[in-house]
Amino acid sequence: MASSVGETAPIILAASRVSKSFGEIPVLFSIDFDIRPGEVHAVIGENGAGKSTLIKILSGLEQPTSGSISFDGQTVVLPPNGAAEAMGIVLIHQEMNLAEHLTVADSIFLGRELKKFGFLDVREMRKRAAAVMETLHVHVDPDARINTLSVADKQMVEIAKAISRDARVLIMDEPTAVLSVGETQTLFEQIRRLTARGVAVIFISHKLDEIMELAQRVTVLRDGQLIATVGTEALTPDSIAQMMVGRELSNLYPPKHEPDVDAPAVLSVRNLSALGVADVSFDLRRGEILGFAGLIGSGRTAVAEAIVGLTHRSSGQITLDGKPVDFTRVSQSVDAGLAYMTKDRKGKGLLLNMGLRPNLTLLTVKKHLRAGFLDSASETRALERAVRRFDIRARDASVAVGRLSGGNQQKLMLGKTMESEPDIIIMDEPTRGIDVGTKQQIYHIIAALAAEGKSIILISSELQEVIGLSHRVVVMRNGRLAGVLEGAEITESEIMRYAAGIKQSGNDERISA
Amino acid sequence: MSASAPDTAAKPARGFRIDLKTAGPLLALALLVLLGITLNENFLSYSNLTNVLARSSFIGIIAIGATFVITAGGLDLSVGSMAAVIAGVMIMVMNWLIPSFGIGWSVVLAGMASGILLGGVAGVFNGLMITRGRIEAFIVTLGTMGIFRSLVTFLANGGTLSLNFNVADVYRPVYYDGILGVPWPILVFALVAIAGEILMRRTAFGRYCAAIGSNEQVARYSSINVDNVRLLTYILQGVLVGVAVLLYVPRLGSASSTTGVLWELEAIAGVIIGGTTLKGGYGRIWGTVVGVVILGLIGNILNLQSLISPYLNGAFQGVIIILAVLLQRERRTS
Amino acid sequence: MKLAKTLLAAAVVVGSLGGIAVAQDKVTIGVSVPAADHGWTGGVNYFAQQAIDRLKVTYPNVEFVFASAPDAPKQIADIEDMVATRGIDALVILPGDPDAMTSAIKQVKDAGKFVTVVDRQLSINGVENLYVAGDNPGLGANAAAYFKEALPEGGNIVILRGLPIPIDQQRFDGFMAGIEGTNLKVLDDEFANWNRDDGFKVMQDFLTRFPDIKGVWTQDDDISLGAIEAIKQAGRDKDMFIVGGAGMQQIIQAVADGSALTPVDVSYSPAMIATAIELTTAHLVSGVQVSGRYVLDSTLITKDNAAGFLDPASPF
Repeated sequence: MASSVGETAPIILAASRVSKSFGEIPVLFSIDFDIRPGEVHAVIGENGAGKSTLIKILSGLEQPTSGSISFDGQTVVLPPNGAAEAMGIVLIHQEMNLAEHLTVADSIFLGRELKKFGFLDVREMRKRAAAVMETLHVHVDPDARINTLSVADKQMVEIAKAISRDARVLIMDEPTAVLSVGETQTLFEQIRRLTARGVAVIFISHKLDEIMELAQRVTVLRDGQLIATVGTEALTPDSIAQMMVGRELSNLYPPKHEPDVDAPAVLSVRNLSALGVADVSFDLRRGEILGFAGLIGSGRTAVAEAIVGLTHRSSGQITLDGKPVDFTRVSQSVDAGLAYMTKDRKGKGLLLNMGLRPNLTLLTVKKHLRAGFLDSASETRALERAVRRFDIRARDASVAVGRLSGGNQQKLMLGKTMESEPDIIIMDEPTRGIDVGTKQQIYHIIAALAAEGKSIILISSELQEVIGLSHRVVVMRNGRLAGVLEGAEITESEIMRYAAGIKQSGNDERISA
Repeated sequence: MSASAPDTAAKPARGFRIDLKTAGPLLALALLVLLGITLNENFLSYSNLTNVLARSSFIGIIAIGATFVITAGGLDLSVGSMAAVIAGVMIMVMNWLIPSFGIGWSVVLAGMASGILLGGVAGVFNGLMITRGRIEAFIVTLGTMGIFRSLVTFLANGGTLSLNFNVADVYRPVYYDGILGVPWPILVFALVAIAGEILMRRTAFGRYCAAIGSNEQVARYSSINVDNVRLLTYILQGVLVGVAVLLYVPRLGSASSTTGVLWELEAIAGVIIGGTTLKGGYGRIWGTVVGVVILGLIGNILNLQSLISPYLNGAFQGVIIILAVLLQRERRTS
Repeated sequence: MKLAKTLLAAAVVVGSLGGIAVAQDKVTIGVSVPAADHGWTGGVNYFAQQAIDRLKVTYPNVEFVFASAPDAPKQIADIEDMVATRGIDALVILPGDPDAMTSAIKQVKDAGKFVTVVDRQLSINGVENLYVAGDNPGLGANAAAYFKEALPEGGNIVILRGLPIPIDQQRFDGFMAGIEGTNLKVLDDEFANWNRDDGFKVMQDFLTRFPDIKGVWTQDDDISLGAIEAIKQAGRDKDMFIVGGAGMQQIIQAVADGSALTPVDVSYSPAMIATAIELTTAHLVSGVQVSGRYVLDSTLITKDNAAGFLDPASPF
């Protein structure tokens, strides 16, 4: 086996001096890259560093402007439009490419359906799909519709699809961005099984610890340049981060200011129940960053949406500055100074086909009316302010925001939320899928807001982030509040204990915390 | 980390290339006008141009309403039938009021008010079924299309409803006269278009329509009352159908089950030719105006020549419509 | 002398065996017409309903099944239902699209029913027992004769046609044959779809295009009403006259009043459906022998005879 897998195996896929320009704009400069069977090779870099372009070239979706690709030692021109899948090169996109209304079995065999007498052989496809899922130790019904699956299960379906295609090179673009810690571990087990069978895996992630855990080699890109390709054993997360941003990232998290423990509760939630939420109570103080941790699906987003009136609240009381409130529309909570920033920036946060200005002011259009008519000059001033404050970078203000990088989209969404001048901000996964440099910026913004006296609920699946920023941490499990951590209690292991249900705190402790 | 303002200056190497997405409908219009001039010297005459514009004004006013509906991600198939039933009811109301009001403007004004009111009510019905009843716009308006059409046939007893001749004489100038030689229908069309353009571009309502059509979820999360905005688009559509009918009735003074047949498709075609996206999220009123005028000119040019067999009129129309949209299709990014 | 219904039907199939029904015997007649999509078909619906109401009183033992269909598939379904579920003995049908419906009507005939076809000729000869129709070529010829008389020196005329179906072609051919050899010059013809709005539009554009028009032939009064408005708008109502067809009350009234713009009209009455229903009923009930073709003349309605065509109750 040693000759076909591992360090001594012959290189299966390689890029040699590959460059790429879009029009006159160069995005990749003479990149060398290779991967062997059985290897996990991570590609990292800030947003816009050229990672996506590189993997598109490696999977045939883009053709390089210059340079060459070799596969099994032969120089090849990869066929476009995903036809390279037939050669065994499979790309799993960041935005998953599953048709939402097909079943799992349909999806796995999409485009190469099994047929009998010219008709679809549904039974055989279902059987084989189940078999593939079995080898992956995934428990998903082959007849389930894709839109009923969790994000993690969808990812597993994508992987099953790749395996059923006898993938030899599997390219995964940020597969863990939307996965919880537990789900990430399951995914890693799958990847290890695949590599043991000789599959080469190209893995893109922003999460440095994951890369350290999974990959043998790391290729770092910055501004379209190849910075280094090194073995992970020679690296630390800090050294990778430095290579990525080209500078020291000494203080990823800003220092925490001490919140006033006697500060009044600006938001009190008592016995809140809603769809996916049962009997949740907590207080948020002025100037506080209250972290919300928990597994995906533990009900953190559901709590936020029930508070601001996006979903129906079946019972419970909410008081804002001591006054009971009952929001049935988002506009009411916004008017009351409570803003919710969604985690789904593409699906619920931003109008991808529109420019920066209408997106920024969508929540607060009414502020820009003069005698009933929109005052575009006032909107432009608001955009200029937001661009300065949140360092939003765009070629020009009219570019569709769907074309901005994830980090800039996130900063724009932050700007949009802050346009309503809220006193309380619920931020749901504010750094999902964005690079370290931008994350750092957002962390500083969050800390600065809290220091100004704004109160923040920070929902995040990245424990480091919750720990690094929060004054207190609420842990949720199965729609209920599992525990509230404070001070020295806020550690990764403690949070996981509550999140996984090993530990549970009493009711009194929760409220008084 | 420098705070960089949006770099508005940087649009390299685009130079003077005509933006077809914007200019597409205008280009198609220019080509049609050229064709018209070559085919018939009377094409550019004042009377021909006012004829065509006045004829297009009904569809035009309806299409402006449709632009809002479509921009907000909806669809209204019932406008043609709605126009017919409004025309029918207006005529009946006016005939019925003659004994109490006498012949004169009071009867006509009452008829007009009833037309606008009925349009608004029909719009409320469509809008409520779609927003509160949670039924697809296509299905709701397909249903009301049938209902309105049958209703007018029923009211007319299968025949034609005719306005009392004396009232018709009072009302006639609303179609045939105007100010400074510009007929009323054209003036009203222009006014509605200008108001529509302002509503679309310069008010929160227009912005909300585009946001809802672009992504309903984003709109909801951005504290927009999606249902109410949607409902308003259908009411606006209904009221504008009423306005169009106000100008239509004085032309022939009659309504029958053939009134307004296929107007909905003409209106939608005008909207799309004008560059509004059928799936919503982007709409432009001036484009709709151009689109409707293009449709009007096609019919006019066909009647002004004898080169194309009348059997092929539909084919000619189809070619022009497809061409106008082809000219402005989004270039696939390389 | 009592005959079972089946026997009666059989007798009808045989044609002229003289099966005579007795008063107590129930007879069912199906009447199928196109929906009222323009004035003339509106008239058809009105006169059919009127005839049925009248005959029901006269013959209490006759039952009528009346259906009005917006398109050919619906009309076919209607007559299939009449045979299958209503057990009709005879069918009176004005086929919306005769070519599309010929085979369906033939099946009714083959099932042993008495079939009366109205107005529109089927694509196969001999399917129907009775054919009642207006005279389409005659409508064209009558109009042509008036044009010759009104414009003895000749002159420019325009034609607004209906829809591209056989009736339109027959009228058009009849008219063209009628003016052959005269100095009447047809500038152009366009379809106005038997519709007022289209009549208005097409006429407006003809007026723009042709500075000299002496006469307009629209062969239908609905088209005429639209065209008249266009002519008045252009202020050219003194320059030309217009001849329609079908005998709409509004136009007949104008003819009777001596209008210069509509000096005459040509009859093509939707009441032919009533004639067809009456003949069919008479045949079934009292064994009156009817078969072959009944062509109702198209007559020229002038100021002198207009009064005879006026019927204030008619919606058409």
